[in-house]
Amino acid sequence: MSDGARPAEATVVPPGAIIGPGQTFGSVTDKISSAVLDRVPRGWWIGFGIGLSLLMVFFTALGMLFTYGTGVWGIMIPVGWGLDIINFVWWIGIGHAGTLISAILLLFRQRWRTSINRFAEAMTLFAVACAGLYPILHLGRPWLAYWLVPYPNTMGMWPNFRSPLVWDVFAVSTYATVSLLFWYVGLIPDLATLRDRSKNILGKKIYGIFAMGWRGSASHWHRYETATLLLAGLSTPLVVSVHTIVSFDFAVSVIPGWHATIFPPYFVAGAIFSGFAMVATIAIPLRAAYGLENFITLKHLDNMARVMLATGLIVAYGYMMEAFFAFYSANLFERSMMHLRFTGPYAWSYWLLILCNVLIPQLLWFKRVRTNTIGLFLVSIVINIGMWLERFVIVVTSLATDFLPSSWGIYTPTIWDWSTYIGSFGLFLTLLFLFIRFLPMISIFEMRTLVPEAEVEGGEEHS
Amino acid sequence: MATTALPSVRVPLDHPLRKAGPRALVVGLVALAICGLWAIFDPQQAVRSYLIGYLLWLGIALGSLAILSIHHIAGGAWGAVIRRPLEAATRTLPLLALLFVPIALGVGLLYEWAHPGVVAEDPILAEKAAYLNVPFFLVRAVIYFAIWLLIALLMNRWSIEQDVAGDPRTTRRLEMLSRATLLAYGLTVTFAAIDWVMSLEPHWFSMIFGLLVMGSQGLSAFAFAIPVLVVLMSTLQLDSAVRPQQLRDLGSFLLAFIMIWAYLALSQLLIIWSANIPEEISWYLRRSIGGWRWVATFLVVFHFALPFLVLLSRNAKQRGVILAAVGLWLIFGRWVEILWLVAPSYETNGFSLHLLDILAPIAIGGVWIWFYLIHLARHAVVPVYDPAFAEEEA
Repeated sequence: MSDGARPAEATVVPPGAIIGPGQTFGSVTDKISSAVLDRVPRGWWIGFGIGLSLLMVFFTALGMLFTYGTGVWGIMIPVGWGLDIINFVWWIGIGHAGTLISAILLLFRQRWRTSINRFAEAMTLFAVACAGLYPILHLGRPWLAYWLVPYPNTMGMWPNFRSPLVWDVFAVSTYATVSLLFWYVGLIPDLATLRDRSKNILGKKIYGIFAMGWRGSASHWHRYETATLLLAGLSTPLVVSVHTIVSFDFAVSVIPGWHATIFPPYFVAGAIFSGFAMVATIAIPLRAAYGLENFITLKHLDNMARVMLATGLIVAYGYMMEAFFAFYSANLFERSMMHLRFTGPYAWSYWLLILCNVLIPQLLWFKRVRTNTIGLFLVSIVINIGMWLERFVIVVTSLATDFLPSSWGIYTPTIWDWSTYIGSFGLFLTLLFLFIRFLPMISIFEMRTLVPEAEVEGGEEHS
Repeated sequence: MATTALPSVRVPLDHPLRKAGPRALVVGLVALAICGLWAIFDPQQAVRSYLIGYLLWLGIALGSLAILSIHHIAGGAWGAVIRRPLEAATRTLPLLALLFVPIALGVGLLYEWAHPGVVAEDPILAEKAAYLNVPFFLVRAVIYFAIWLLIALLMNRWSIEQDVAGDPRTTRRLEMLSRATLLAYGLTVTFAAIDWVMSLEPHWFSMIFGLLVMGSQGLSAFAFAIPVLVVLMSTLQLDSAVRPQQLRDLGSFLLAFIMIWAYLALSQLLIIWSANIPEEISWYLRRSIGGWRWVATFLVVFHFALPFLVLLSRNAKQRGVILAAVGLWLIFGRWVEILWLVAPSYETNGFSLHLLDILAPIAIGGVWIWFYLIHLARHAVVPVYDPAFAEEEA
């Protein structure tokens, strides 16, 4: 029992493999379902505790906000959009990786997506939940949020359909709905596995209800495959459309620094960039804590790092175009906007952004960094910070110093701005830890298609 | 390396494509002669029409460079089957460099900013003169071509090396080259697009324009390579390499690039239309007065909607004839878009189509296709050792 007691775990995963050696149908099921059905590790309680504490911070901040109004934040004229909108864009961007992994990589028949899609999709949902709150909080009168939705009313008032802010309402709510459906449909076969394996009566009942009578018959699988493919097709445009519309929120205006035709593709690339960084930030500690090195292999980390590098370069191209066109436009306001970004009161945020999003991610050119868990973890955290700074630079610096120097103003976030931001991590982490505790964080049935046994039985069909 | 070699199939001497080349050359030379004669009387119109034709064929060659790089990095049998048609297109870059000479000589006839008198009276152009001036314009063109020719040279040389031995080190080298290529391609094409097209209306600017041109070039490359592959498939024995699955994948790529083009074009339009700033919207106004409105509508319907709907069908994507027809149609669509981008810069009174706008693309195209077919016939039409074939087998 002492040395070499865990042969499957101890074996080194060969480079380039997307699943460790010696795995069988049984070992995959045991390993993943044990995280839910067996004793809860202490680390989970610590993580959940941190999440819950931050959630309390969030509630406190919201209490302040609802009692005193948006005046508790630092927003003012001219900077009417502050941390709340930055956080909205940041969180919604993070969600994109989940959709990309589950939909686009599925359509491209990329089998390495299998072990990371489940929790990436969960991450998408929780990130969208965090994101969706901010515009509502920003309203100042959140109880009137339903005014955003067009409905016949006695006032004869309709939202302005030409405004991307209205498109946002549709885009984000569609995104949340389709992501939830996709995630839930993907869970059904695994919920049935948990129903069958749970020793707890209550657990059996609850998993049973949500498994919706799944028995794994051929006709079930047939419909399941069709549904997944249809949902993947539905989600694919959402990967692009949501952040495109978010970028329109800025780009359709005339504010220098906001009005840029490159915004749609550059925002989408940035969203995928930050999304993959967040998946890596979560995946690396998770695989260490639960011993999932056989499922989330170095090949996965390598591939994610490559996606980050590619999208990071597109984002860098965006920064370069902004700078070049400030010159090329020969427009006084465009030029002064760029000049102020370089040297103005917020210059620190711009240069920090270049460091985090352009310079440091170049380390990912090296395979040694891409396959080094600690190195990749650090780079991914830097990218998360960088993408937050990017939104800060766009939102704040453009508003603070616009056309008339007499109306310039400096925005300083208050403690309630920050606690509303930090608190949202509480919501995110709490939901994430509840997910890890109660649902299989890796898709059991899809992982089973990767083991050698599946090849023999013609598992190729499921791709 | 575990990769098994495929048979090395070449274009035989009695193949119809061998005859098509000289015919294209004759057509091209006749059209070129007419253009040349016209240039004596109306050099301005001649060089402006020439630019339209030039951009059309250059787009195919440069797009091929980018698609090849994507294939070398990402793999996939779809890329392996069109690798040789794409490579042959990149080998036309020396010809295209030579064909750039009329544009270099005609800078003054093409671009407003090339006249010191105009610049002196226009404060905005004076501000831009550090970038938009004739010597720097020519230096930049030389740099672009130097980079493109170097990449095309290495990519083709190593690709042929791979055919001989299937050495995995060659494959690895191609992958490294492709990474550098994509970086260089992105930068050079962006600035070439600004220099050659955007600066036709030197007050106008749009940051997405470089990406839009890249998307169009990718579309051009697929739209051209697919018909070539379909002709090769129908006349040669390529069953061991080309499967229905790969044809379907190519159709999906064509569809994807149509969507990318539409996405980028719509983004630019929507943002400029919404903000409605005089210096930006005037570009669209010029392109929507009189008959240009119908040309723009044509692009929406026939460069996007129709091919989009056709390619949604799985059945259409599996049938080579339909796929090739869509590809050729899109090449025509590319000509319409380039016409729409370039010609209204000079015309302020609405739509007009000059005879040379039609003849110049045919003139360059005839010569280009002749040159292309010579290069296509020089090597095996399907790479012998592309690792992507082995991957697909596994």
